[in-house]
Amino acid sequence: MAPQVTATVVDDDPQSYESKHVHAVYDEIAPHFSSTRYKPWPIISQFISSLPVGWVGLDSGTGNGKYLPLPLERPTDIWTIGLDRSRNLLTIAQNAGNVTRDVVWGDALGQSWREGAFDYAISIATVHHLSTPERRKLAIQRLITAVSPSRGRILVYVWAIEQDEQSKRTIPQVADQSNGGEDVFVPWVLSKNVQGKQNQNRNGKPDTAPQDTNVQEDGSTTDRADAPRIYNRYYHMFARGELAELVEGAASMLGLHVGPLSPEAPLGIEIVQDGWERSNYYVELRRWKSS
Amino acid sequence: MVRLITHNLLACHAKGCTSNNFPLKLQDVAIEVREAEFNPDFVRGFLPRLEWKALVQAARELGDTSLPEEMPEMVDDGFLKNLHHVLLEIHIDEGAMICPNCGHTYPISNGIPNMLLAEHEIG
Repeated sequence: MAPQVTATVVDDDPQSYESKHVHAVYDEIAPHFSSTRYKPWPIISQFISSLPVGWVGLDSGTGNGKYLPLPLERPTDIWTIGLDRSRNLLTIAQNAGNVTRDVVWGDALGQSWREGAFDYAISIATVHHLSTPERRKLAIQRLITAVSPSRGRILVYVWAIEQDEQSKRTIPQVADQSNGGEDVFVPWVLSKNVQGKQNQNRNGKPDTAPQDTNVQEDGSTTDRADAPRIYNRYYHMFARGELAELVEGAASMLGLHVGPLSPEAPLGIEIVQDGWERSNYYVELRRWKSS
Repeated sequence: MVRLITHNLLACHAKGCTSNNFPLKLQDVAIEVREAEFNPDFVRGFLPRLEWKALVQAARELGDTSLPEEMPEMVDDGFLKNLHHVLLEIHIDEGAMICPNCGHTYPISNGIPNMLLAEHEIG
């Protein structure tokens, strides 16, 4: 049997918990993980392609930097900086698309930028690795304050409880969903022999959210001498509506009006897209200034 | 890599450090110049959002004096080429960035700046 997603409980200081169950894991699995993450998702590509020439943006939780080369049809028109907690993933992101990229070793909860310095920000499959509602909300606030108050655009993707029919995963049912979503461990199987074959998983299919690609077709793993290691990554799987609610809470705490441009408020943010795509929820946001 | 385009966006975020925390001062840097494709439209588009004085100062610290003290009103191709070079072709591989306010040091190693803070330094 392939390892399954299991329910978990955050039973430690959130920072130590994420350090152990997120950051350390990505540093360990970086090359293998990266070899399975190469094809951009359509909505993200469309978002980046729609940005005007001269715009500069932040990819918070860039991983292997697969979004840094976009838009492929006019790659030098806009410019994206990658931020990540995993030094090992950044070493890969630094050369994403075989072009030198600027990447920064930092935390999605930090704010190591001039306020409003960016024109846009994306955060793909990152906020779900934060282990409390407060920290997830803070991550959204950091994205909001990183972009221009008058025109900043933001795209956020997180993993959903509601899974694609094609997803190989079975999600455990947890009785207590009082916090909206579900806290789980997602196993990553790293067999010893895969480490030398990091670029062989390019089967042409778009990669879906967390995938343990090294399990054999029949669910067995490789022979015992090569016993695979299983790394459990922490995820908060989002419930329907939870992401938009998080954004509204984050915006309100920053004193921003949530909704379309209104003369009644000086500053605001509009949710222009709120959807589900292939096992993920996403929102697209636009900041506005009424005067 | 850290290029001056990135340096122009970074600010100190240590606990309590909210003013005079930009630009970070470059220290003991090792640089490398690498050619990058020139896209005048990108440079022209980004220009209004640059912190000009910070960029000129950082470029001079790295030995590049091609940019004028004040942002020119007339933007021609020669100027855009110089600006492109300063923003996108000078790579800082090693060194550090120091906050002008609190003195916090952000090291740069193998082209990657470390902007992480220790738990007690997080604001």
